[in-house]
Formats: sequence, C-alpha cells, structure tokens
Amino acid sequence: MAKLLVVFRREYLERVRSKWFVLGTLLGPVFFLLVAGAPRLIGGRAEGTPDVAHIDVIDATGMGLGERVVAGLRERFPLSRAPYLTVVDRAGAAVAQDRALLRVEREEVLGYLLLDSATVKGDSVRYEGRNANSHNDVDAIRGIVRSQVLAQRMERDGIDPKRVAAFARFPLEMHTQRIDDKGRDRGVQLGLIFLGYAVALLLYMMIVIYGQAIMRSVLEEKTTRVAEVVVSSVNTDILLAGKILGVGLVAITQVLSWVVLSIAAMKYGAQYIFGEQVQAAAVATAAGSPGAGGSPGLGLLAVGLPPVPLWATVALFLCFVLGFIFYASLFAAVGAMVNSQEDVQQAATPVMLLLVSSVIFMGPIMANPGSAMARTMSMLPTSAPIIMPLRITLVPVPWIEVVGALAGVAAACAASIWLSGRIYRVGLLMYGKKPSLGELARWIKYAR
Amino acid sequence: MSDLAIDIRSVVKRYDQHVAVNDLSLAVPRGSVYGLLGPNGAGKTTTIRMILNIIVPDSGTITLLGQPHRANGITDRIGYLPEERGLYKKMQVRRVLRFLAELKGVKRRDADRRIDEWLRRFDLKNGEKDWGLAKIDELSRGMQQKVQFIGTLVHDPDLVILDEPFSGLDPINAQALKDAIVELKSRGKTVIFSTHMMDNAERLCDSVCIIARGQKVLDGGVAEVRSAHSGRFVALAVEGEARHLVAPVLSDRRLVSRVDDNNRYYELELAVGADAQELLRRVVATGAAIQRFELVLPSLHQIFLERVGARGVEEGMTGHG
Repeated sequence: MAKLLVVFRREYLERVRSKWFVLGTLLGPVFFLLVAGAPRLIGGRAEGTPDVAHIDVIDATGMGLGERVVAGLRERFPLSRAPYLTVVDRAGAAVAQDRALLRVEREEVLGYLLLDSATVKGDSVRYEGRNANSHNDVDAIRGIVRSQVLAQRMERDGIDPKRVAAFARFPLEMHTQRIDDKGRDRGVQLGLIFLGYAVALLLYMMIVIYGQAIMRSVLEEKTTRVAEVVVSSVNTDILLAGKILGVGLVAITQVLSWVVLSIAAMKYGAQYIFGEQVQAAAVATAAGSPGAGGSPGLGLLAVGLPPVPLWATVALFLCFVLGFIFYASLFAAVGAMVNSQEDVQQAATPVMLLLVSSVIFMGPIMANPGSAMARTMSMLPTSAPIIMPLRITLVPVPWIEVVGALAGVAAACAASIWLSGRIYRVGLLMYGKKPSLGELARWIKYAR
Repeated sequence: MSDLAIDIRSVVKRYDQHVAVNDLSLAVPRGSVYGLLGPNGAGKTTTIRMILNIIVPDSGTITLLGQPHRANGITDRIGYLPEERGLYKKMQVRRVLRFLAELKGVKRRDADRRIDEWLRRFDLKNGEKDWGLAKIDELSRGMQQKVQFIGTLVHDPDLVILDEPFSGLDPINAQALKDAIVELKSRGKTVIFSTHMMDNAERLCDSVCIIARGQKVLDGGVAEVRSAHSGRFVALAVEGEARHLVAPVLSDRRLVSRVDDNNRYYELELAVGADAQELLRRVVATGAAIQRFELVLPSLHQIFLERVGARGVEEGMTGHG
C-alpha cells in the first residue's frame, strides 16, 4: 500500500504541477464562458442587459411611488447597480427628464423611468434608455412598476402593507413548451438538455483526455526505459493502479477547479457580459449545490441550472469513476503494447471507437431519451458511463436500471483490469515490433 | 543466515518454443563481486529479471539473502541498474531520486539527506550549481548516467545488480563505476554484474559464471577457473621472419586446437591429448628463432572462447539475453 501511495503521488503531483494543467484549469472556464456566451454576444444581448436597474427613477407622482419602484428594482435585480431616485413636482418633471437624458447620453445611467399621475392611474409609464428595445428589460421594469402601483392602491384601501408586500412578491416564472406538428416538441426542458449534454460531453472529454494521458505515461515509461527500474521495485499491478488512480484524481481535480472557478467567474465577472439570469443562476448554484451534477460547467449556469437530486449526482460520479477506470486500463494496455508515439494513436483506435460510438448516439438519444436505443446504450457497459448520465438528466430513469448499468460497468472494469494488467505486465518490457493479435493472446496467456 | 546472497536452483524460463534459461543454478557468495558472463542472448538479462521478480520462472527456486525472492520487501534491499537506462525526462532530478528511494521504502526525509550526499559526491551539486533542481532532460548524458547510478544505490542496498553496467560509459564514468563497485564490496555488499567484456570481469570479479544458450557453461572463483584451465594454453613468440616457418605447425589440428594471433605473440590452445613438449619440439624443428615459449594461465577471454565458442556467440539471439 505504501508503494501504491508513492506511485499515486508521483502521477498526481507531476501532473498537477505541470504548466499545461495549470493553464488548462485556468482557461477551461474561459472556454466554457465563450461557448456559453457566444450565442448571446452574437445575438445582440437579446435576453437581457446587465445593470438593468442602473437607471434614474423620476418620481413626479407626489405619492412616493418612486421609492417603491426603486425598492422593487433593487429586489428584482440584486446584482445590478442601484437606481437613482429623483423626486420632483409636476412642474419639475421636464427639467428632471432633460437632466436624465443627458446622463443617459453620457452613459452615467442606462436609462430613466418617469412616473407621473398617468402612472398612478394605471395608464402609462415612460421609459427611455439604451435598452429600450430589449423586450426582456422593458417587460421586467413594466412588471415592477405595475406591481408597485397595485400595491400602493391596495395600501390606500387599508390593506396591511406587510400583507401587500407578501401578495406582491412572487416571481411567476413562465414555463414554456413548444408544440409542433408531432405534438410537444420535446419531453424535456431546454435547461435539462443542456445539462445532460454538457455532463455527457464533459465525461467523454475527461475520459479521452486523461485516458490518453495514462496511455502516454505508460508509453513514456516504456520508451525512456525507466519502466524496468520501477517494476524491479514495485509490482506492475500496483504501478498500474497507482497510475489510474493518480491520473483519475487529476481529472477530478480539474473538473472541480473548473466548477469552482466558473462559479467565481460568474459571480464576480460575468455580470458584465451576460444578463441577470446568469447571475441569478450562478448565485443559486453557489448557494444551493456546489458542483451539482458533477460538473455542469458554465454553459449550464448560463441557461439556468435545473436542480439535480443528490442520488443523481452520486450516480454521475460513479459513472465517471467506473467509466474512467474501464477506459483508462484499456488505454494503459495500449500504451504497453507499442513502442513509439507513431504507433500509439493507431493502436488506440479500437478503444477510441468504443468511446466515440457512445458520443455519436448522443444526438438521437437527446431527441428521444425514452427510446429503446437510448435504454440499450445506457445499459451497455462501454457506453453506459456516458449515456446513462445523459438519460438521468433528461428523463426519470428507474433506479434498477441505473444500478444495473453501474454493476455492468463495474464488471467490465474488472474484466478490463484483468486483461490490461496482463498485457501491461508483459508489454512493459517488450520491445520490438507491435504485437499481432495472436502474440497479444500469448502475452495474456503467459503473464504470470 | 545463509552465506549466499543469491542462490538459484534449477531455474527454467521458456518463451513459446524458445528456451531462454535452461536449468540454471547459481550461487553468489555474500560480500563478493560476481560476474555473469555470456554472449548476447545467452539469458543474462532474463536471469537478472527473474532474480528481481520482474518475470517469473517456469520452474526452479530463487533465494535472495536467505529469503525466497518473492518475499515481501526483499526487493527493497536490492539495487538494480538495467542495461537500457532512462529516467522520467520531464521530472526534476531530485524528485526522480526521491521517487525511486521511496519506492524502495526509504522515508522521505532520509531520502532527501541521502540524495544530497550522493549529488555532492558525484559533483552534481557544488557551490556553483545544484543539478538536483534541473530536469532530467537538461542534463548531459554522462550526468544522467550518474543520476541513474545514484538511483540504484540511494536506498543503500545489500545486493546490487548491474546489467551491462559498462556499456555506453565514457572512460571517466567507467572508472567511477569501477571504484564504486570496489567500495561497495569493501562495505560488505554483494555486487553482481553481467557483461560480455571479459577484461572488466577478470579485473573486478571474485567469481564468475559463464552462460550460453540459457545454460551454465562453468562457474567458480576467477582464480580457480583460470587454474583449472591451465596447462593447456601456451604463449609463443618467434622472430618476425620466422612466422611463416611455424605456420604449418600451428595449423596442425592434432596439436593445436585454436590460435589467437595477437601480432606480437600467439596464444595457443592445445588440442585434447596434445602435449606442450611435443609442440615445443615441433616448433624448434622448424628452425624458427623462439623468443618466448610459456605455459600460461588463460584469460577469461580465452576460456570464454574455448568453452562457448563461435557457435554459441552466433546462436545468441539479438536483443536481450
């Protein structure tokens, strides 16, 4: 066990210390941010503007409506800069308006809101600003003014202000569902689709990147001939186990760093890029379930992270761990089979095909997560580590299927470890040409 | 406690149709320098790998320092320098050495202290420069060999196994290695090394074993081995012009089984049943002016050629033996 720790520590520390790891960890969130943000940036900020509440509120009602609206704005957009309140009489409104216009022009505020007697009557309210053609912003502001006018009226009729406040405070989110010729477009929410897609893709990415890292690490030990010194001190099984665990923990470290950095970036930086929904989502994630769903990445925060139950998080984690061990041991065997960088990519092709086969089915499965194909792919040990998480996030999956899939992957792990352990043991000290299948079979047979 | 550092009995290792090591038995006394000699492909590396439990023999037993070679922790007392050398290229020297030491069960603090001593001793750390902080691939080849050697000895092993240690060494590092071997012996350590350079073996080894085609040809103390083959080798020198006169005698296979022409003198191996006196009479009869006629102790080189022969060398597979 002590030697396992020594091997594990080397694999982990040497990787975490490397500048590529640090760079990847720091740039990961930036990459996700761009991926998540690109549609918005291109789409001209259709979904909302940061700092929506950073406006001048001109209250010419003489009834204190401005104060209420300001409070409403601050409550609704907690991360935006606060609005400024100017209380004027009816005559002063025009001057205040001119001054506000100037402030908008100078970009001191985003816009201004004029509350007057027509507003109190419930007829109209005026908003002028840089985001005046953003539906979302204008709708949000209109909603706030409307609910504050309503609240003021109710209070005037003698209803307890606290109760009014309680009545008025409800967000009422609208859940939408597209319907097309075939009926409901999809059985799942957009946010869930993003989550499922991102989780599956991330699992795939981590398995490919770090599985190949193990392969290269084995090959490096082989080509530099350091393997012989190492295996004279430690059993190959322990060496292989230490490698897989060490590199696996590097992957987990990276994903966790990405999640933490992404949340931090969202909280402190992204509000200048994206709308307030992003912030709300980011805050909700930060407050609620850090690292929910294993590693949603930033793309999800941007669309709003659907709540992920704990059991699903655990299942996702197990999927990653088992899937990683399965593929990592296969990659290690490939690394032990060949002698050069040129050969290794070719030799890794069968393993890559197994991996890719689960990814090319992601599209159809997302479109129809209840189909027989989706079920089969999510149960098959080679694709389960990637497809089962996708299904879990999209549709309710019976627990027995989840447990079954995990058991299947675990069994596949045992088999691949056994097989790879033998190939590794023999291959590590075998130089010369790449083995044929027949020779490989002999390796497996003759290994200890 | 057994007085043998290595006790190999009837070990066999087969690969497919090819027998790499066939019924090999070896006894290496504690505290000795032992040479494992043989042509390429003779089974030296296979034997060493079996001793180190890297590969498992098909049959036979191996006892190291009085314990079965698969006993827990026994490999921690062995230092191994493989024939093909290399280290993690992108890793810091000090970290590589610490890793190798920790793999042998040395505690981290101990390891750091010893690494420091060794780096100083091999002049990899001095007032100007600490190469311990450099990465392996920033080192020259000679320095890398030093680091590798430190890695072999950093855990202060009782048994040191060196596979072709002199191959690829420049004269300065070869000298340093020779000094290190002698020093290890003086500290009571056992050193076993494989080589096909007989000169090194003859100078350094207390005992040797010659193997060919996976089988032991002979073994024993260097002095005994040489004297056992005495009386059968003759050094002969004649005046330059007379060389052609003695040629017919030397090519008589009933008398002389092999001739090694060293230019200034011949080394002759007598044929089985031939007599040195008879040879002398025949040479005198040619009228050649004899400068030297001496019964000599054969060199390991001679013995190797005699016992293994050209055939054994040719039959050796290329690659690892």
